Amino acid sequence: MAAEPFARLADRQHALRTALRALQAAGPGSPDFPVLLAETAKEVEAVMHARRDVEAARLTVPNRAIAAGTAIAALVVVIGWFDGWSLLSVLLAVAVAAAVLVDPVGRGIWEPRARTAAAAAALLAVVLTPLANGWASLAVLAGVAWWAWRTLR
Amino acid sequence: MKNIDPVKALDDKVERLKKDLKSLGDRIDNAQTDAAQHKLSTTNQVRDTTRKIAKTNERVTELAESVHRLERLLVALNRKVRAGETRKADFDTWPEIGKPLIARILAGQEAYARKTFTPQEAKTRRRAVAEYDRQAHEAIDAAEALTTLPPNAESLWRKKYKQWQTIVGKQRPEAPDDNEHAGDAAAKTAGNEAVAQARELIRARIEDAVANDLLFPAWFENMLGPAAPPGKADDWLYTATDVVLYRLLHDITSPASALGTAPQEQGHRRTLHDRLIVECADYRKP
Repeated sequence: MAAEPFARLADRQHALRTALRALQAAGPGSPDFPVLLAETAKEVEAVMHARRDVEAARLTVPNRAIAAGTAIAALVVVIGWFDGWSLLSVLLAVAVAAAVLVDPVGRGIWEPRARTAAAAAALLAVVLTPLANGWASLAVLAGVAWWAWRTLR
Repeated sequence: MKNIDPVKALDDKVERLKKDLKSLGDRIDNAQTDAAQHKLSTTNQVRDTTRKIAKTNERVTELAESVHRLERLLVALNRKVRAGETRKADFDTWPEIGKPLIARILAGQEAYARKTFTPQEAKTRRRAVAEYDRQAHEAIDAAEALTTLPPNAESLWRKKYKQWQTIVGKQRPEAPDDNEHAGDAAAKTAGNEAVAQARELIRARIEDAVANDLLFPAWFENMLGPAAPPGKADDWLYTATDVVLYRLLHDITSPASALGTAPQEQGHRRTLHDRLIVECADYRKP
């Protein structure tokens, strides 16, 4: 299962190499350069998506694991160190963890890793909650911001 | 003479008054008769006038009918004349104006429409082209790198992808050509000469048609009216020549519409079309 996205990425990279060779042969001044450029742009998009699929295949399980860990840790923290003010960061972290748990890789080309970062930040926030109480929610927010910046830009 | 008897005097007075009254009554009677007579004559006059007006009305209706009949007759006659043995002017086939001549005219118009660069513009343009080429090479190198990167080197992927994106969707600016300028000048001169030549030929044929009272084609009459407006023959001929030339240049063969459908895009053809429309509307005005 894991080999298949790799094979597809290799295929795509090969196709891109062929398109690039045609593009280089034509040179920027030639009349069919724009057409070749558009074709190559399509190939590049395909390569990027193939790489994203590789990343997605690689990161699905780790992302889910981190999110599940976050959820469990949140439960432990809520029960063990109950505090109204801490509840904020824990709830935020649980929300992020739920989002990552439901869809561990997302759809954008940079999203798998961004989701890993967000889930890791949420886990860190939960672990910090006994020490930093509600202030730990800043870590969650930072993770979400990183995720959004990576995905939307 | 004074009556001594007062009764007698009164009687006399009464008598005199009676006489006066009688004369007054007579006068009133006379006046009445006169008035009646006057009234009668006025009524008679009015009746006469009314009768006359009614007659005139009838006559006008008759006249209108006959004018209408005449109009229809004229239309029918016109059609018969057109269908008959009247000699027609032919402004649709021009064997003497060949394809090369038309091609030369069109090339000249294109040359006029083309933008010419000042040296400064050419310099900046050349620099922009060089910049684009450099970016293109860099982007191609970046894409080349994308074909060999391992999938988990994300920051490198991002960097190269961004570099590639700089070129996508950008147009290479058109390079100014030094030879083009000389070529354009030659094309313009050739085009002007060709236009003058074609215009002369067309004008000669139109003048010939006018001289021999030939029947103009339908599109010609639709556009330019049945004949030159008095006092404006030369302008009219000039416009007519341009209309025929327009048809020739843009290959319009419609028998009814002289200029065909209006061109959508801006340019020499659009300008000429609009000018001709305005000028011809002027000539068709009664």
